[in-house]
Amino acid sequence: MRRTDQLAQLYGEKTAERIAKARLLVVGAGGIGCELLKNLCMSGSCSKRKHIKRPKAEVAVQAISAFNPGINAHAQQANITDPQFDFDLVLNALDNLEARRHVNIQCLAAKVPLIESGTAGYLGHSTAKPVEQKTFPVCTIRSTPSSPIHCIVWAKSYLFAQLFGEQTDEIEMDEDGDMQELAQLREEARALKRLSEAVGCPDFAWQVFNKVFVQDIERLLSMEDMWKNRRPPTVLNYNGLAAGALDSPDDQSPPSATAALEMFRSSAERLACRATQRSERTLLMFDKDDRDALEFVAAAANLRAYAFGIPPTSVFAVKAMAGNIIPAIATTNAIVAGMMALQAVNVVDHRLQDCFTVYLTYSSSHDRYYMKERLPPPNPRCSVCRRHYLTMRLADPARTTLADLLARVTDGIGTSQDMRLGEDVSIVEGSRILYDPDFDDNASKSFEELGLGPGSMLTLTSEDDDDAIPVVISIARPTYISCAITFEGFEDFRGFPPLEQAAPEESDDEEIVAVVEADDDVVVIEEDVLTKPVKRKMEDESPEAAKRPSLYDVREQPANSEIIDLD
Amino acid sequence: MSGICKTRLMEERKQWRKDHPYGFYARPEKAKDGTLDLMHWSCGIPGKEGTPWEGGMYKCMLHFPPEYPTLPPKCQFTPPLFHPNVFPSGTVCLSILNAEKGWKPALTIKQILLGVADLLVDPNNDDPAQTEAYQMFKRDKAGLYQKSD
Repeated sequence: MRRTDQLAQLYGEKTAERIAKARLLVVGAGGIGCELLKNLCMSGSCSKRKHIKRPKAEVAVQAISAFNPGINAHAQQANITDPQFDFDLVLNALDNLEARRHVNIQCLAAKVPLIESGTAGYLGHSTAKPVEQKTFPVCTIRSTPSSPIHCIVWAKSYLFAQLFGEQTDEIEMDEDGDMQELAQLREEARALKRLSEAVGCPDFAWQVFNKVFVQDIERLLSMEDMWKNRRPPTVLNYNGLAAGALDSPDDQSPPSATAALEMFRSSAERLACRATQRSERTLLMFDKDDRDALEFVAAAANLRAYAFGIPPTSVFAVKAMAGNIIPAIATTNAIVAGMMALQAVNVVDHRLQDCFTVYLTYSSSHDRYYMKERLPPPNPRCSVCRRHYLTMRLADPARTTLADLLARVTDGIGTSQDMRLGEDVSIVEGSRILYDPDFDDNASKSFEELGLGPGSMLTLTSEDDDDAIPVVISIARPTYISCAITFEGFEDFRGFPPLEQAAPEESDDEEIVAVVEADDDVVVIEEDVLTKPVKRKMEDESPEAAKRPSLYDVREQPANSEIIDLD
Repeated sequence: MSGICKTRLMEERKQWRKDHPYGFYARPEKAKDGTLDLMHWSCGIPGKEGTPWEGGMYKCMLHFPPEYPTLPPKCQFTPPLFHPNVFPSGTVCLSILNAEKGWKPALTIKQILLGVADLLVDPNNDDPAQTEAYQMFKRDKAGLYQKSD
């Protein structure tokens, strides 16, 4: 029996055929990605897979080929900005926000639906918003810590970096916005610098202790007003602590102050030894798997915690926090990948109304692990999907200038009134402003001079008309064309409701223009480049009419499932 | 960088162009490649009249994180100022610039700079960022200003 036969029994012939023909892109081959690849190919569903950048893809492809030899899997370490997207569906199995944003916007530009996923420990979701990473204000880290993580960040990113690292090492703190700040503070921390020169002295550990747990704390205490509403720290006593009873700490339980001091002294010595074993100073970088570095950070963080009256932390917990580790749980990944595969079937079968956002939750007050939610309608103010996405080809990027592009867009690109941007336009690429009404220095520069090539995305925004929909232009590889600038992608244009009519952000479905009336009805928006969308209710739901749902909203602000575009 | 961050900063630029407090300036810094860097703005705060700061233009940078406006920008005086709430590196310690305290995504660049301008005149000694200026301000308000001249 062929795999498609099984699928046909489950979903019916038509769906099985769609599944078999679907061309899918899986982005990421880590915990979720590998589970997902297995699910997809066991169902015989995907005919093609790609992967961005990481060599993990090749391993994954080898593995899945064994599950289903009939599968056509390609590992591709490429950039999806490559303009020719040729997929029906993209599945995200990523672990960071930046890559998610990237894939999201690329999918919007390519008008391909996206299924998003993520896990954190026992929690997970498929299609939802990722969480921002935590950063700490510098004052909290330097002067007024109030929780163990503040002490750990201080020990890792400040103390360790100052003593054993070099300036560039501190960029590692970029997850922690204060790194740069600390790098600059480094300049002033003369005393610590002198100390770092004292690495290798017999009393190095004592010197460091004296500086950070005695003098620095005394200095902080001298600013009495700081402690009016805070619990003041206490100066640590080296000899007093050293005289305490030394328990034998294990990694799983928080060390006593005496144990922390002993760990501090011994790890500092080992690190100093490593730093000075060659004639030239060896610079060390914090690595959670470097036992000496980990012990030093754990010990220093715990001593600081004792000084500030904060509960101590086990070495194991410090390792997780300092290394930004959230332990991945294989079962959670498997559950999420399973949900994604089910969603994927709905999408390739054009049944968006059956798609859900699924969250995994656990709490004592709830007896359910899965939470299911309908896809919300697009946010009318969404800064990613309230855009016209176009592709542009240039005949000669070395000669075509920004001014040439401006000349083409001020009156509206193509024939669409919707695309009118007016006289005052700004052009932004990434975080670079290339042009705006106050800044025309670059108007006469060519695309090549500005470093704009295939894959670059320009956002053009009207500066005098708030209602004008911004236009996002992806630059495609030049093919043979006679015209200096050619635009593609008009056929997918759709109108946007004006903002004042659009619902506020926390709207429910009824308030959104062009949405559902009753559950079983399908509202069709007829697209016409020249006119505003016309709503009409479909009495007779024919599968042909719904041949290609407008899936490209299933992203950052997922579309209401019942909206169907007619091509 | 998210779409929200970029869109918001372009909007801030537009709003600033339409209206900004007298004597202040704020603009994205010019990068080496001749474009403007949306994430780093160079700003100027005029010293308030009738205070020891009068007549000066105090330059600072606003550094926006990719998570802006969920997270606040960092405000850094270049060169650093002698002030109880300014770190020796020049970074301003102010509640509205602290994600765990007073920061709200709705705060505009205009409000931030006005807030910093107020802080110059009215230091908050409960949250000191440098010892020397803190001690001096505590002992002798006038003396602090003499040093900062």
